[in-house]
Amino acid sequence: MVVPLRRGRRALKSGLTPWARKRSIWVFHINASSCNGCDIEILAALTPRYDAERLGVELVPSPRHADVLLVTGILNPLMKDRLVEVYQQIPEPKHVVAIGACAMGGGVFRGCYNVGKGIDSVIPVDLYIPGCPPRPEAVIFGILKLVTGEPKDPVEAVPLV
Amino acid sequence: MSEEAKAVGGRLGAVVETLMGCSVLQVDPAKVKEACAAVSSLPGYYHLTTIAAADRGDRIEITYFFWRGRAFLVVRTTVPKTDPTLDSISGILPGATLYEAEIQDLFGVTFTGSPYTGKRLLLPDSYPADAPPPFRTEADPEKIRKLMKLE
Amino acid sequence: MQYSPENVMPFGPIHPSLKEPEYFKLILDSGKIKEVIPRIGYVHRGIERAAQDRTWVKNIYLFERICGICSFAHSLGYTQGVEILTHFEVPRRAKYLRTIVAELERIHSHFLWLGLVGHWAGFDTLFMWVWKDREHILDLEEAITGNRIHKSYVAIGGVRKDLPDGLRETLLKELVFIEKRARYYSELVQSEETLSIRTKGVGGLTQDTARRLCPVGPLLRSTGIARDIRVEDPYAAYDELIPQVQSSTDGDIACLMTIRLNEVLDSCRVIRDAVDKLPSGPVRNPVPRVVPSGESCQHVEAPRGELFYFVRSEGKSGPARVKLRTPTLANIMTAIEMLKGRPIADVPIVLTGMDPCFGCMDRVSVVDLNKSAQWSLTGEQLRQYGIEYYRRHE
Repeated sequence: MVVPLRRGRRALKSGLTPWARKRSIWVFHINASSCNGCDIEILAALTPRYDAERLGVELVPSPRHADVLLVTGILNPLMKDRLVEVYQQIPEPKHVVAIGACAMGGGVFRGCYNVGKGIDSVIPVDLYIPGCPPRPEAVIFGILKLVTGEPKDPVEAVPLV
Repeated sequence: MSEEAKAVGGRLGAVVETLMGCSVLQVDPAKVKEACAAVSSLPGYYHLTTIAAADRGDRIEITYFFWRGRAFLVVRTTVPKTDPTLDSISGILPGATLYEAEIQDLFGVTFTGSPYTGKRLLLPDSYPADAPPPFRTEADPEKIRKLMKLE
Repeated sequence: MQYSPENVMPFGPIHPSLKEPEYFKLILDSGKIKEVIPRIGYVHRGIERAAQDRTWVKNIYLFERICGICSFAHSLGYTQGVEILTHFEVPRRAKYLRTIVAELERIHSHFLWLGLVGHWAGFDTLFMWVWKDREHILDLEEAITGNRIHKSYVAIGGVRKDLPDGLRETLLKELVFIEKRARYYSELVQSEETLSIRTKGVGGLTQDTARRLCPVGPLLRSTGIARDIRVEDPYAAYDELIPQVQSSTDGDIACLMTIRLNEVLDSCRVIRDAVDKLPSGPVRNPVPRVVPSGESCQHVEAPRGELFYFVRSEGKSGPARVKLRTPTLANIMTAIEMLKGRPIADVPIVLTGMDPCFGCMDRVSVVDLNKSAQWSLTGEQLRQYGIEYYRRHE
C-alpha cells in the first residue's frame, strides 16, 4: 500500500507517517545569537526533572535528522545565512518553533544596530513560545501543541511564564 | 594615588591623577606601549583587565585597566578621529589581542602590529570599511541595520 | 605562518546541542594543532551601544540578558557601578541577600558546566544527573527571586524583595543535599576513567603563560595563582563572609573540575554563613533619580571569572558609556594556548574546560600543513571523534 506523504504545515495532523512521527519528534536546536537563557531551558526540558524524552522528543546533532527546528536568539547578520542554510537542510515536512522573546521580535534588544525583526522575517515560523526565557514546561507544552495540531485561536495557548 | 604610579608617570613624563578611586596615567598615544610595558614590569602582581574605548566627540579615548592585586592602575590616552592609530601591545601582553581587535571593529581604531590588524573579529566581513564603526556617535543604528539588510 | 586559503576550513558556528555559536580556524601540523584563530561575533548584539539609549533602571534588565547563566553577576556589576557614582550605601541586609543569590548562581553555573563536560566527554549520564541536581538550585533561586534564569533581583539601592518567610529552613535543607551531591561528583571525577583519560594532563597551563595571557577565574586559579576578586576586592557582603580561594597547580582540565566542585562546596558554606548572620533592616534604600557625572570601574567574580564594569555618567537619564569585559573574552586566548600541540580530539574538552559563555563549534575547520589536506567535521562528529580517539588510545 502506498501512503501519500502529506506536505506542508498540516502534515502532522493525519496519515500513517505523521501518526508515527507524532510519538517521536526529533528536534534540532539552533542558537541564533541568543543569551543562552532559552537554550539552557530547552536543555533542561530534556533532563530528568521535565524529561521531554519520554514524549519521544530527542535532540539530534544534525539538521538532516530533524523534524522540528527550535530557534532562539535575535539573529544577527552573521547568523542569518547560517539559519537559512540549516532550515534548507531539514527535510520536509518540517516545522519551526521560535522560542523566547528574542526569536519573536528581538526581545529586550529590539532597536540595536544588529538586531533583526525576529526569526519570521527570514524563515516561516509555525509556533511561538513566549518568555524570557520560557520555562521548560512551556517549551514542552509548545512542542506538544505543535504535535497535536495548531490551536484554533492563536492566543488560546496559556503561557506558562 | 599610588607611589608606583607616580614613579612610572615621572619616568614617562605623564600626568598622574586620581579618578574613579584609582591612579590614572594620562599619556600620549606614542608612549602607550612604553607605559604598558612599564606597568607590566613593576614588581608584584599585575593583570590586564581590559582595554576600554569611548567616543569623546572628535577624539577616541582608550583606557587600559591594570589590576595590581589591591587597586587598579589605569593608563589613558586619546587619539584623534582623523588619525585613529595606536601601537598594539599584543607583543608584550598577548592577552590584549582580543580587546584591541574589539576596539578596532567597533570604534575604528587601528592597532598596528596586532594579529588582527586589517581583520574583523566581531562584525561581519561584509560590513563596509567606509561605514562609521557602530559605537561612534555619528553611527546611526537605523542606517546600520539597513546596511546589514536587517530592515 | 603561511597557509594557502583553500586549505582553511570553516569551523562553523552552529553547535548541534547548545549554547552560542563561535568560529575557530584550526591549523594542523602532523596531526597536532599548531595554531587556532578565533572569530567571535555570532552573538554580538551591540549591548553597550544600546545601553546609551536606555535609562539607568532599564539597563539592569538589558545587562542581565547578556548571558543566561551568569545573569545575576552582570546585573550586580552594573548596579554596583551606578551605586558608586551615586555615592550610595546599600543596606547590609541587601548586601547579604545579594551574596546569597550570587553564590547560588555560582553553584548552578558550575553544575551546568560539569554536565556539559560530561556530555562532551561522551558521559551523558553525568550530564543528566548533574542537571537534575541543578534543578534544586533553580527552585531555590525561583523561591527567593521569582525567576529561574533572568532574576532581575538587583535594584539600584538594594534588592527588589526580601527573603520570604520559611525559606530559611528549606534553603538549609537543600544545601545539605547539594553538598552531598557535590562531594559525590568530586569523587566521581577523580575515579571515573571516561573522564580522567580525557582530562588528566590535558591543558598544561603554566604560571608564565597565565601572566602573559591574563586569564581569569578558575582557569587562572588552576595554575596556582590563587586570586579571587571576592577576596582581593570584596564587594557585596564578601568583606564579612570571606570565601576560601580554591586553586591548584596542575593546570589541566581535571584540576579545573576539582576546583569548581570545591568552589561549590565553599559556596554552600558561604550561603549557610550568610543565612546565619543575616542582619535585619531594609532591603532597599531610595536612590536619587539623577546619577551625578563621573566614572566608576569595578569588578565582580562571576562564576567564570572576573567580570569588569566601567560606567560613565554625564548627569543624564542614562549612562554615557558602559564598558564591560566578560570573563570568557579574557580566557579565549588562554584556551587557544592550551590547544597548541594537542590532537583535534581535545578541542571540545579544552574549549568546554574554560567554561565558555558562548557556544562552540559546528564545523571544525582543519588545515593540515603536512598532508595539504582539508576536512571538516560537524560539532557532533568532533564530539564522536574525540570519544573514539580516546577509546582507541586508552
